[in-house]
Amino acid sequence: MGKILSDLGIYWTNFIAQILIFLIVYAILKKFAFGPIQEILEERRKRIEDTEADREKVKAQLADTEAAAAAKIDEANETAARLIAEAKESASALGDKERAKASQEAQDIVAKAREATKLEREQQLAGLKKDFGKLVISATGKVTGKVLNSEDQDKINKETATQLAN
Amino acid sequence: MFSSLGDLPVTAFQLASVPITAQPLVGPTGLLAALTNSVFVAMIVMAIIYFLVRAGTKSPTLIPGPVQNGVEFVFEFLYNQVEQVVGPKVAPRAFPLLCTIFVYILVANWFGLLPGVGTIGIGHEGTQMGFLGLSAEPKIPLLRPATADMNLTLAIAMCSMVVWFYITMVETGPVEFVKHIFAPKGGLTGVMKLVLIPIFLFVGVIEVVSIIFRPVTLSLRLFGNVFAGENLLHAMTTLGDTFGLGPTLSFISKIGFTLPFYFLEILVGVLQATVFALLCAVYIQLSTAHEEEDH
Repeated sequence: MGKILSDLGIYWTNFIAQILIFLIVYAILKKFAFGPIQEILEERRKRIEDTEADREKVKAQLADTEAAAAAKIDEANETAARLIAEAKESASALGDKERAKASQEAQDIVAKAREATKLEREQQLAGLKKDFGKLVISATGKVTGKVLNSEDQDKINKETATQLAN
Repeated sequence: MFSSLGDLPVTAFQLASVPITAQPLVGPTGLLAALTNSVFVAMIVMAIIYFLVRAGTKSPTLIPGPVQNGVEFVFEFLYNQVEQVVGPKVAPRAFPLLCTIFVYILVANWFGLLPGVGTIGIGHEGTQMGFLGLSAEPKIPLLRPATADMNLTLAIAMCSMVVWFYITMVETGPVEFVKHIFAPKGGLTGVMKLVLIPIFLFVGVIEVVSIIFRPVTLSLRLFGNVFAGENLLHAMTTLGDTFGLGPTLSFISKIGFTLPFYFLEILVGVLQATVFALLCAVYIQLSTAHEEEDH
């Protein structure tokens, strides 16, 4: 056994020296590699997880916002449709009212015109009667050569008016 | 001419070789004798690992630079590999050892391929001495590949077995460990179990022997591969001189013959580091895996 170890160059001092070096390498890696790298990887993993969670939150918020916006748009559309319908209805009612008003005004104008025409006619007729009465009186006076008194003139006027009326 | 290989003069095919043992740099006796050329290289390897790791983790940031990124990549890659073999529960405990083994062996193997390792040293076969007493064909190479020394490979193997034993005891406990080795497996019951108990006991004894020999197999495999590679490179480098080629052809042959084997040894360096760490991981996995997970 001793010869085999000696032939392979295995000696306690060298063996222990190599073990010490290996343990130092282990300690170096443990202190400067495993710990810091594990920490930074853990921190990075946590940050990625947080970012992912934030992303999911933002995504959910975006979906909510989109849904709210869609609801608002639907509501606005409904309101707009309602307003348009109301406006149409109102416009129609106003048109009818205006038409009725215009018709009434036209009828009033026509009625006033008729009344005015009638009054004018009556006035003209009255004037005509008066003039004709005067003419008849004058003619009668000239024909009869008699001066007509007031009673005669009234009588002639009435008869004339009656005949004109007929 | 020669009628058979036996007629060839022995010196005609005497290839250059590397001594099997590491040589002391200071003196042959005493504590300083521990400072062999392979221990010296092991210390250099240790320093290289320290500077690489410090450069990568001196001021770690969330957005890593190239060096930090490289160190993190290696770290994560190795951790994932270890986790796949030993499982997520044991991985945090086993990873530091396995990572250290892999990194240390890999850097040591590749450092051994650098020009000057094994070729520059102290003393000379003749009377010529180089700069500062160093020689290019030395009696004692100043640098010897660290993993071409049984002391180092055995040291790593022994450390790994100690950690293996510790992890096994922590994860399974002594009773479960003994049951794992000697108890009948496969959920046997009744007469069948009684019949097979002696067989399983025998298998357990074989298992114990194989466990005892694990450090030997681990260390010899690594040592053998690296030592053979070192010999191969030396032989290829001196092949031109051995065959008595002229100075020009000899110089060309030093490059031409050696270069392919350098690439081979780069590959062997990674493979051996992987094999060593992987076998340690498998040993840990075998002893910490529970019965229900096996079936």
